[in-house]
Amino acid sequence: MTEPWKAKRNLEDLERIATRLRLHVVNMVASTGQGYVQQGLGAADIFAALYFAEATLDPANPTWPDRDRIFLTTAHNTAILYATLGERGFFDTSLLSTYVTDGSPLEINASERVGPCVEATCGSLGQGFSVAVGCALAAKRQGRHSRFYSILGDGEMQEGQIWEAAMLAGAMGLDNLCTIVDYNFLQSDGPMDKVMSLAPLEAKMESFGFEVQDVDGNDLGALLDAFGHARATKGKPSFIKANTLVGKGVSSLEGLMFHQLRFPGEVADSAKAELERKLAS
Amino acid sequence: MTNTLSKLEAADFINRSFKPLPRSYGDALVEAARNDSRIVCLTADLSPPTETDLFRDTFPDRFLNVGIAEANMIGIAGGMARSGEIPFTHSFCAFSTKRCFDQITMQVAYPKLPVKIVGFLPGVATILGVSHQAIEDIAIMRTVPHMMVLEPSGPEYHAAAVKLALEHEGPVYLRLKRPEKPPEAPIEAQTLETGRGVLRREGGDVTIVAAGLEVPEALTAANQLFDEGIDASVVDMASIKPLDSELVLERAQATGAIVTAENHSIIGGLGSAVAEVLADAGVGLPFRRLGVQDTFCEGGSTAYLMEKFGLDSFSIAQAAREVVLRKG
Repeated sequence: MTEPWKAKRNLEDLERIATRLRLHVVNMVASTGQGYVQQGLGAADIFAALYFAEATLDPANPTWPDRDRIFLTTAHNTAILYATLGERGFFDTSLLSTYVTDGSPLEINASERVGPCVEATCGSLGQGFSVAVGCALAAKRQGRHSRFYSILGDGEMQEGQIWEAAMLAGAMGLDNLCTIVDYNFLQSDGPMDKVMSLAPLEAKMESFGFEVQDVDGNDLGALLDAFGHARATKGKPSFIKANTLVGKGVSSLEGLMFHQLRFPGEVADSAKAELERKLAS
Repeated sequence: MTNTLSKLEAADFINRSFKPLPRSYGDALVEAARNDSRIVCLTADLSPPTETDLFRDTFPDRFLNVGIAEANMIGIAGGMARSGEIPFTHSFCAFSTKRCFDQITMQVAYPKLPVKIVGFLPGVATILGVSHQAIEDIAIMRTVPHMMVLEPSGPEYHAAAVKLALEHEGPVYLRLKRPEKPPEAPIEAQTLETGRGVLRREGGDVTIVAAGLEVPEALTAANQLFDEGIDASVVDMASIKPLDSELVLERAQATGAIVTAENHSIIGGLGSAVAEVLADAGVGLPFRRLGVQDTFCEGGSTAYLMEKFGLDSFSIAQAAREVVLRKG
């Protein structure tokens, strides 16, 4: 079966896309001087793999009922989300320069003001997963073959509603549901295990009825394989623990654990230069 | 309908008699679902008390029991509505609103989705106690943009309320009360209109604006008052949002005194809504709000609680006499 809406890519293409997304993230956050630059850089490979290879989307027809749906339930990680949506063709990338300016639809927490490519308004943590479950149930009822992806934050999994939704998804065996946790170990008050540990997360999700995979979230090949395995898994939902490194791709930022980073101009400039060099090579 | 329940079987949170109760809401929902295949039904482990056991048995493929997880239920309903369905969610009023208010605002109201949130056990009317009493639900739901709020005054209006809920393109909060005993006569379905109060009794001395359980109390009070020479109007304000401002102002003009009566806190509910209309229009007149007077309640029989918290016909009649006196 041909999938005309799917942007088929090879790994090299995807690497370049991920770098382009990172460059957008740096530019967008640099313009405000602070924001979610570390998380955006860390998650860029997840976004590249999901939006540019795995998911079946049609930017020209964003409400197409048979599309796959992607929910960024940690809706504040928007520099990378908007960069991805722009590069994927949901809107012109020139809009990215309005990020977090008054009147712009590109707010810090993504809302549906951006358009239907933002599948739900999820700034209040823990909610988007339930919406994805509702969509997945409706698709089963309607005989649609769409898949439903949620990108959760690790800290977000402390919300009780996540576990309500996980319990139901497991009990109903929703194999059209694929949940990715962006396991960057970073939440507002510091490293996640210092705030409240999720361990043993894999065992918890397995016990909720999920097919669990633990992958390097900055390895595009590993991510694509994990999505493929999830798609091939029948009778139960999938959970991908994608271990990501905050600041990934910019040597001066990698591993710096700042939830909100003050982003001085000179650091931004060197980050841009590094990413531009990578794109030119 | 007239047989007596005699064998040992599951009891019901609401029906404390040994007779089966009519399920006017449950019947209306099933009927609506026959005509509209988009309607789906969700419950959080309260099917018989929310009359949705009928739907469960009639359309099992369109029914989902999410377990005891109201926040998840609202999110799931949002997802289903985004997929072209019209979900009706069911629980008690307290859990349908207070427990998942954030989810309602973000996953239902902000995107203006056709999710119909149906609550039972309104206000004080339950033996189950303070945890199960919703005396704040109308106040909070009224503040939510796009939200319609309906509280029909009896089972004869339940089918009409379902119809209005479906006519409204966005979200609706439907606050329902099951009758506590079987009706003596067959229920005759009545109609309702969005944003229109029903003038249930017309009199020129005072207007009682009531909703839900308070409407029959207001009608009883009006009969008592009539014997004393006070002729009261009774407005059944089932459509709390949008409110019938026109009727409020017209009755204010015609009678010169208003009492509001609600099975809810006096803060933020029907009484507040009527006061807002009057104040916005610059109308000053003798006015009283009856309801729960900024206090928590307790479990008990409905008649006991209505008397204790000043919601019965006696209290309404007393308030009406007072405002009529104040007219001078």
